Amino acid sequence: MSTTPSVAPESACTGCPAHHLSNLRRLGVEMEDWDYVVALAGNPNVGKSTVFNSLTGLRQHTGNWPGKTVTRAEGGFEFGKQRYKIVDLPGTYSLLATSPDEEVARDFILFGQPDVTVVVVDATRLERNLNLALQVLEITPRVVVCLNLMDQARRLGLQVDDRRLARDLGIPVVPATARYREGLDTLLQAIAGVATGDIVGKPHRSLQEPPALRKALTTLVEHLTQLHPGLPNPRWVALRLLDGDERITAAVRSGEIADLATAQGRPLPTAPAAASAA
Amino acid sequence: MMTFGPPSLLPAAAYSPALALGVGVVVALLSVVAFWPHTGLIARWTRFRRANARVLAEDALKHLCKCELEERVPTLASIAGALQISLNHTADVVEYLQSHRLIASREGEFELTAEGRNYGMNIIRAHRLWERHLADQTGLAEAEWHGAAERKEHRLTPEQADALSASLGHPTHDPHGDPIPTAEGEIAPAGGRSLAAMKPGQAVRITHIEDEPEAVYAQLVADGLHVGQVLRVSQVEPDRVSFWSEGEERRLAPVIAANVTVAPVESTLAEEHPGGRGLHTLAPGEAGVVQSLSPLCRGPERRRFLDLGILPGTRVQAEMRSPGGDPTAYRIRDSLIALRQEQARLILLSPESEAA
Amino acid sequence: MKTSHPITADRVLREAQTLRWKIGATFHDDLVESLYKEASRLADRAVTRPGDTPRFDLDRTVDRIVTSRVWGFPLMLLLFAGVFWITIAGANVPSRWLATLLLDTVLPLLKQFSASLGLPRWIDGLCLDGMYRATAWVVSVMLPPMAIFFPLFTLLEDFGYLPRVAFNLDRWFKRAGAHGKQSLTMMMGFGCNAAGVVATRIIDSPRERLIAMLTNNFALCNGRWPTQILIASIFIGATAPPLLAGLVSAAAVVGVALLGILASLATSWGLSRTVLRGEVSTFSLELPPYRPPRFWQTIYTSLIDRTLFVLWRAVVFAVPAGAVIWLVANLQVGGTSVAGHLIDWLNPLGVLIGLNGVILLAYVIAIPANEIVIPAVLVLTVLMTGTTGVGEGAGVLFELDSHQATLQLLKAGGWTLLTGVNLMLFSLLHNPCSTTLYTIYKESGSWRWTVVAALLPLAMGLVVTFFVAQVWRVVAP
Repeated sequence: MSTTPSVAPESACTGCPAHHLSNLRRLGVEMEDWDYVVALAGNPNVGKSTVFNSLTGLRQHTGNWPGKTVTRAEGGFEFGKQRYKIVDLPGTYSLLATSPDEEVARDFILFGQPDVTVVVVDATRLERNLNLALQVLEITPRVVVCLNLMDQARRLGLQVDDRRLARDLGIPVVPATARYREGLDTLLQAIAGVATGDIVGKPHRSLQEPPALRKALTTLVEHLTQLHPGLPNPRWVALRLLDGDERITAAVRSGEIADLATAQGRPLPTAPAAASAA
Repeated sequence: MMTFGPPSLLPAAAYSPALALGVGVVVALLSVVAFWPHTGLIARWTRFRRANARVLAEDALKHLCKCELEERVPTLASIAGALQISLNHTADVVEYLQSHRLIASREGEFELTAEGRNYGMNIIRAHRLWERHLADQTGLAEAEWHGAAERKEHRLTPEQADALSASLGHPTHDPHGDPIPTAEGEIAPAGGRSLAAMKPGQAVRITHIEDEPEAVYAQLVADGLHVGQVLRVSQVEPDRVSFWSEGEERRLAPVIAANVTVAPVESTLAEEHPGGRGLHTLAPGEAGVVQSLSPLCRGPERRRFLDLGILPGTRVQAEMRSPGGDPTAYRIRDSLIALRQEQARLILLSPESEAA
Repeated sequence: MKTSHPITADRVLREAQTLRWKIGATFHDDLVESLYKEASRLADRAVTRPGDTPRFDLDRTVDRIVTSRVWGFPLMLLLFAGVFWITIAGANVPSRWLATLLLDTVLPLLKQFSASLGLPRWIDGLCLDGMYRATAWVVSVMLPPMAIFFPLFTLLEDFGYLPRVAFNLDRWFKRAGAHGKQSLTMMMGFGCNAAGVVATRIIDSPRERLIAMLTNNFALCNGRWPTQILIASIFIGATAPPLLAGLVSAAAVVGVALLGILASLATSWGLSRTVLRGEVSTFSLELPPYRPPRFWQTIYTSLIDRTLFVLWRAVVFAVPAGAVIWLVANLQVGGTSVAGHLIDWLNPLGVLIGLNGVILLAYVIAIPANEIVIPAVLVLTVLMTGTTGVGEGAGVLFELDSHQATLQLLKAGGWTLLTGVNLMLFSLLHNPCSTTLYTIYKESGSWRWTVVAALLPLAMGLVVTFFVAQVWRVVAP
């Protein structure tokens, strides 16, 4: 995890940004002066805004209330000579798109294809928070889990084994206490690592679908993959179709979903040269 | 120096506070009479205006479609009954339908044309979609769904119905368990048998509750019966059907039980004790394990509960009660969540829930 | 490349549609269940729990006390009384200091400066006497209490106490068809309705959030307290023996504030059963663990986020208000000022409801900020009565130092005890200020609800003052 990616990447685009520039523009994110885009997701009241503030130096109010951030906040920071744009998504319990907030968060992670998605989780309520993290992992492997509120966990006498969690999830897990800026350097390194491609997440998608469903799902996934080879998350798309998700149905019908398949594998025309020159 | 005397536009003599007070009271009473919800003059007037020819024709088509699905033979009298109008008036409606080639009559029997069936199915589709919408996306009480959908079905265009279906995630059944026809007019066959025809000891799940006549439906709703509920029939006698549900034994007259359609369920552990007691029965300090979420818990409320991790097998502990007596805080997956009594009632516990 | 392929998007979608009929309605539940099963498996592997959790018990003990039947409510009253007392006691001095600075020190300097430039009198009047003075007024009345109230409130919030208040009070709000959290947005409304409306974000049920937004105005805001206190002391306090005057006028103000809470609950009840009946309603209230607030950070962010936010919006609206008041007092049409014409026109309605044209015009001008109602009333009364020796010229906001002088001026304007009582009622029940309305529009995203929020309390105010005036006149000799 070096701060400057000095090792020559094996393929031409290991270090190049993966975000979907035109979709990001449509979502209202200006990427003129930035190399990478980082999305910040998490349950309500897990200190997501605190993480955002400590990374960007902004001072958004963060109350001890579930659900403080209503509109999307944006900020930026620089690390290892790269400039990162960071987008604070509304706090949600899940990404099943049953409320406007969830839809905003889901659309951003899916269609914007941020270079890194940081899922902030509350170390004291891991179960409820991992529910969201698992859903994000179904969509994208470019995830860093920030295990926040470690001070609270210690206060409650909980021992959280971040290494084991990282192994189980197959992605970087960083313990932190954002209020006291604890663990933020490691978090920044992990973000940079995933953004530049030095760290490649291999999420264990060990999720067990309901047994009655397995066969139905297999066919659907097969056909989706044939339709759009290279689609990064066919299983998730299939599940959304079965759940009657209108946005995803429309994206499949219009072929918008195919953009994700093409954007994922190849460098964006403008990206790498500009990025390394900066 | 000018002072402010009585209003300059009104001649001082014409103004008397008593008179003004009287006028004010009368105006207030009149506006109450006019604007009162449901029974006010304006509400009555709009209701009256809705009962026009098109609405009657559409209701008649709907009735014919339902007869066809249930393999009953429609008559002039049955149409008149469904529309609650006189036979003469019904004859006019039938003539109107015939002239538009929506029905054909043969030897005094009525038959839907393909066009008429499609039209009628679209009305049923609009009706059931709207009920689904009211159940999932609004706070309207259950007893009001049917009436509201009866009005709305005549105003939704097929395009709007499609958009509604999409926004609801293309539901397959309405909240009463009736299948929703597709935009092409196809409909899943209704399965199941009447609750009155079950044998003692059988475990069944309610698949449908007939929402007409309204009085019978209202009684079933008031008794707390709902689609998806699991029952175990305990006794079937000529004058009553008894069954166990949600921890208590209930009885229905067979005539009323006939309006409840059920499908047998395999007897697993859960069904041996159909729907245990609700979470609201826990006193602070007691704990329980969730068996299921009641089917009555739907829409945003159900999804919120699922998001909070209230699922079969989840351990829940009652922590404290508000000094006002109502919301109670429960510890659920390490979080403290306050639930109102009517919400906690929808979370059913396993019978063997232990005390802390 | 996909056209030659036998599998098309339509086919996949059709397959999915057919499968949906087969897999049944419990799909969503099953999906969530399998997600949680996995989450709980991973969490169990990663977390080691100690046998007993001593600190959980500390939170639990605190909770037992703050929500107990015996201590819950007294504790709550004590805390909020404390917050209000510190705000009122602490704001007085800086308020006066700010007023002296902005009006007695800076204003003469600006006047000198404009005179040295040789600006025409009307520019000088419009900008300095109109806009600057109104803005300075709003800032000096509003800023100090906001700067004290919001940080205190925010400290309680960050500690985690406020959700417990919602928990304690929910029962009564539920009866009115509202959410317990509305108690907090209402409390916030006592500071500033615009901030109260923003605070309704904590209510995640659409119906209850709208109710909280539409009824926030009934919480008597900081801009209206001075009006209530002044009128109560010079009209109502004066009816009692001198010893009790202070107590009686304080009781009158508290009474009006309680009436506001009552109106808020009654309106919530009415709205939830009529126009808002069909809106989605779900209750959810999470009681987060207590966290020690970080004092300076909290003070800083609440100043930036709430105080300055509210102040900025108020200033934006106060500037045009200052211009309007100066213009109506100084523009002449047919030998009478515009204000004179407007007052004549509004007077019949005003007198009918026990107020007068001056008060109604003052309320129209003060739509941007309730703080300037009293100064506007005084300016217009001077203008209309032709009183000399008070004030600083036509359309120039001022306030009198002694209650006695204010009373005399108002009596010269034809005020009676009824005018005073009805002004207090009208000050409680009238349209929200434009800052609040704008905030309601921003938060609800709907013109319809914004219009309802404006007209509903105004209609209530007109009806209530009308009946009070008629009954008063019938009963009183």
